Amino acid sequence: MFLIHCPYCGEREQSEFKAGGEAHIVRPKQPTELSDDQWAEYLFMRKNIKGVQFERWVHTHGCRKWFNMVRDTSNDEIKAIYKMGEKPPTKY
Amino acid sequence: MLNYSNAIKAEKSYSGLQLREIKPIMKLIVRGKKREFLSAVGKSLNLLLPTEANTSTKSDKLTALWLSPDEWMIFSNEVSDLDSNDYHSESLLNKNICKTNLGAVTDVTDQFVLINLKGDKIYELFENGSPFNFNDFRKKKGSVTQTILAKIDVIIQNESQNDVNLFVRRSFSQHLFSWMNDSASRL
Repeated sequence: MFLIHCPYCGEREQSEFKAGGEAHIVRPKQPTELSDDQWAEYLFMRKNIKGVQFERWVHTHGCRKWFNMVRDTSNDEIKAIYKMGEKPPTKY
Repeated sequence: MLNYSNAIKAEKSYSGLQLREIKPIMKLIVRGKKREFLSAVGKSLNLLLPTEANTSTKSDKLTALWLSPDEWMIFSNEVSDLDSNDYHSESLLNKNICKTNLGAVTDVTDQFVLINLKGDKIYELFENGSPFNFNDFRKKKGSVTQTILAKIDVIIQNESQNDVNLFVRRSFSQHLFSWMNDSASRL
């Protein structure tokens, strides 16, 4: 069990949230011009780092809002949380 | 209120805890982001929507609960007419919010069941099935939270000391009520 600080509702327990995978993946501007491999790279391939990772999370059982999180996957330490559309922090 | 067979059949009473469904209560979900939306709702209903997280506001006839930065639930303080599904507040909001494209209004009267809990053991019951920390919530009248109770999504409002309103989706209400009775009998 760990606590997550929802940027809208405040501190809540992890079971109220769901992880939404890696953050800041940009959709290609012209998908029709991509090869199958390039499209698959965008669609399926994720970094899955051991260490500090930028992720998307959603407060499913609360305000149902998405937000971003910087989390160390090796020890679950949450380094930073910021709203969708905000710039990712450079220092954490 | 449609003519449903009740999910919750009777009032239940335990030492330090009383549970009952209150119906029919008008319930609306309103969604919008613009400042004009907030003022239009305020003017239409004479009720300011709460902008602070996890709080509620109350007028003579209505209560508004904060659900998310752009979503609120409005419900009537008194029971409404059993034979009708038309609500004056809803038609006012449809006219001033929906038709002017400021936001959305959804009637969830029959979607949510309102269970009222009274007594000094309410939070002991919640602690049996919810990960939410109720320490601050119980001290502050008008607090609102959306959380999980017995793995079911619920909206909980601190109406006053030892008086709490709980909203749960109709399809889950029977199960939740039976869990609450089971849990309350062991407190």
